[in-house]
Amino acid sequence: MNVIFLLIAASTVVAVLFLAAFTWAVRSGQFDDDRSPGVRILGDAKPAPTATPNTTTNPNA
Amino acid sequence: MFVSSQRRVPPELCHVEPVTTERTLCYHCGDTCREEHLVHDAKDFCCQGCKAVYGLLQESGLCDYYAISEQPGVKEKADVTELRPELFDIPEVRDRLVEYSEDGITRVTLNIPQMHCSSCIWLLENLQRVEPAIIRSRVRFSEKELSITLREEGFGLRALVELLRRIGYAPLLNRAQDKAARRGAGVPRMLYVKLGIAAFAFGNIMLFSFPEYLGADVSDRTLLRGFQFLSLVFSLPVLLFSSQEFFTSALAGIRARQVNIDQPIALGIIALFARSTADVLLETGPGYFDSLAGLVFFLLVGRWYQAYTYQALSFDRTLSDFLPLVVIRKRGEEEQAVGVGDLVQGDHIVVRDQELVPVDSVLRSGIGNIDNSFITGEPLPVRRAVGDTVRAGGRQRGAAIELEVLRPFEQSHLKRLWEEHAATSAQRRPAMPRMIDAVARRFTVAVMVISVVAGIYWAGRDADMVWPVVTAVLIVACPCALALSMPFAYGHTMRLLGSRGVFLRDAEVVERMAHVDAVVFDKTGTLTAREAYELRFMGTPLTADEQQRLRSLARNSAHPLSAVLYQGLKGEVSEAVEVEETAGQGIAGIVRGLGVRIGSADFCGGAKQHMEQGEAQVHVAVSGLYRGCFAVRKRARSGMHAAVRGMDGLAQTHLLTGDTHVDAEVSAVFDAPTMHTACSPTDKSAFVQQLQAKGLRVMMVGDGLNDAGALALSDVGMTVSETSAALTPASDAILDARSIDRLPQALRLTRAARRVVIMSLGLSLMYNVVGVSFAVSGQLTPLIAAILMPLSSVTVVGFVTLATTWSARRLWANDRS
Repeated sequence: MNVIFLLIAASTVVAVLFLAAFTWAVRSGQFDDDRSPGVRILGDAKPAPTATPNTTTNPNA
Repeated sequence: MFVSSQRRVPPELCHVEPVTTERTLCYHCGDTCREEHLVHDAKDFCCQGCKAVYGLLQESGLCDYYAISEQPGVKEKADVTELRPELFDIPEVRDRLVEYSEDGITRVTLNIPQMHCSSCIWLLENLQRVEPAIIRSRVRFSEKELSITLREEGFGLRALVELLRRIGYAPLLNRAQDKAARRGAGVPRMLYVKLGIAAFAFGNIMLFSFPEYLGADVSDRTLLRGFQFLSLVFSLPVLLFSSQEFFTSALAGIRARQVNIDQPIALGIIALFARSTADVLLETGPGYFDSLAGLVFFLLVGRWYQAYTYQALSFDRTLSDFLPLVVIRKRGEEEQAVGVGDLVQGDHIVVRDQELVPVDSVLRSGIGNIDNSFITGEPLPVRRAVGDTVRAGGRQRGAAIELEVLRPFEQSHLKRLWEEHAATSAQRRPAMPRMIDAVARRFTVAVMVISVVAGIYWAGRDADMVWPVVTAVLIVACPCALALSMPFAYGHTMRLLGSRGVFLRDAEVVERMAHVDAVVFDKTGTLTAREAYELRFMGTPLTADEQQRLRSLARNSAHPLSAVLYQGLKGEVSEAVEVEETAGQGIAGIVRGLGVRIGSADFCGGAKQHMEQGEAQVHVAVSGLYRGCFAVRKRARSGMHAAVRGMDGLAQTHLLTGDTHVDAEVSAVFDAPTMHTACSPTDKSAFVQQLQAKGLRVMMVGDGLNDAGALALSDVGMTVSETSAALTPASDAILDARSIDRLPQALRLTRAARRVVIMSLGLSLMYNVVGVSFAVSGQLTPLIAAILMPLSSVTVVGFVTLATTWSARRLWANDRS
């Protein structure tokens, strides 16, 4: 039965570690903007592709 | 937030006839292609600007922009190009933007109000594909900011601004976005930490308390004692760190000799901790640590929500936000950029198309076409010839002009007008007692009385019960649900209104709006659109062929009336030759072999027509024959009728205008006695005060500096804005001009929200009554407290959120969104 004390101590330590991780995440600004990081992932996938075949150089561009 | 509702920028200058052709939407900006319909790469575009941006993105392989959100583009708008790109080369401006600059690598942060969707973020973060000099770009969407690191060699700040402007994301430069002021918006990081710690303690202490609740047997004594001490340890940071702001606010209230909602809360927290610590140390019970952590957690969720509903808009403006920071001073042939404050009498300055005249001055060369709508509300630009005085705050439309400074900025008319406004706003709007404070006052008194009475009662019967009963009353009477109902009901209402184009400064404005029983509208710029005109032709109707010729010629003039004509007429544009523009007279040219003239009556050989107030006339002649005259006037917003008539039965409506005459379109929706013409800015303020003296709660809906005094004095000041970047005076709320027809519904929603808050107060008081009945009879066990407290918080929050959502859905049942 004494093993439960060990388990409680261990679980508390793990919980405190998670709390510390959360605090670190907040302080490093991960909660500042909840919109752009989700979009950022969309752009990471491909390197700059070569222009599509029907690119007509636009004089106004 | 300015998100979905900002998607579509409306077509500017509007049309003679309703459009009946099928609706083709621009691939770039999503506007209907009306005037021009360009097809490029099998896609439809509404104007050259949109097509150009598409071309640029296509070249850079950035067409994913169109895949992420549909029609994400922002149409190029003239009025946002407030700042000359040259300004960004000036050290003073640079210093305000540049965060870091070393070895030719520079990091700047720009405010870009146009960003509104996922595509915007994606494009702005992939700018390095368009311009290799850009090393990295990062968006902070909640603050509408873009941080860019770039190599300045061969590509400066100015080039960056020009690039952004070209793709439709012109950066905004105003004082409110200064580096120092930038921080502190949105949810403070510390609040997340406090919330995290409270949540951690809440969860763990609850787990530690389970054996106690489930009736663990006595053999586990050591284990239970261990859990109790662990709970005590975990609750310390909750008491000392997470609940700080409740104590600060309660103390501030005591110092100001005022009762506020945080005092019973602070008392409850202290009572919880003292009672629990005593129980644990004296081995009289397990304590209420789980209730303590839960209480603080739920209260902080309320605070978080309040901060989260914050709008990334600035509601406070200073005069310098409206003026160009720097003007071009001319000495001989040399042009030099100087600060507005450094101008002295006799200096010559150059003001270009779409720029504001910063100081009172005299026109020295060029043709002034001054749009005073911001200061006076005058609908159409006025002509100024060489030698005429131009007042500060007017906007030049047309070619560049040279002006001689008459008085320094400090003595200008605009500055005086602004100071008058500042003086009136200092008088402060009438105080409106917050419902929550009134409730808190009675609540606190009631809690005190109950605990004293219960203490005295038990002192006579069983002295040992006094301490437990009194602390139990303080614990259970802690107005957690009460404190949550307002931020959630009003915060959620703010979000609901925000998604429909009505942006409120803070939750308190919701309550102020709910009390409004008189609505005062300004006319120009509020009920009539800033840039939309209506054309009426007087004379024998023009043939399609003539219209086409006139349109082709009008295109060659920068005069605002020509632009109106160009937008209003139909036909493919063909080239005009031998075009000659006579300043102050008109424009002449040859289109497909026939001479065409547009301009004043004399210029076209006709007679000056009698015009209604606020109308301008443009005469036309084709192949030497006088054909007639167009009457041009500001068009009322399409939602005007709905906005004004929708107030019937809700609030009385009034119209104030600086004009001497109200045009038929607007006067049709108001009752004659409620229209007040020829109002000066002071008259408008006085009128609002007059209504307030009659005991009415007034909402002023206005747009320019001429309404600023009235906006500041009214109970709710609401400015109408066409773009988030438009210049509006300080106010409590900003109304997206396209949502003006939703104003009555918005008012109804705030009233519904107030009723929801009252109902939720009833609900939470019921919980308190149940809790107190347990407490005074000495039966409030930790288990009952642990069930009652979260239950009341969750039901109250759930109730107000669902009830306000449901109200909004019912009010907008037939709405387009």
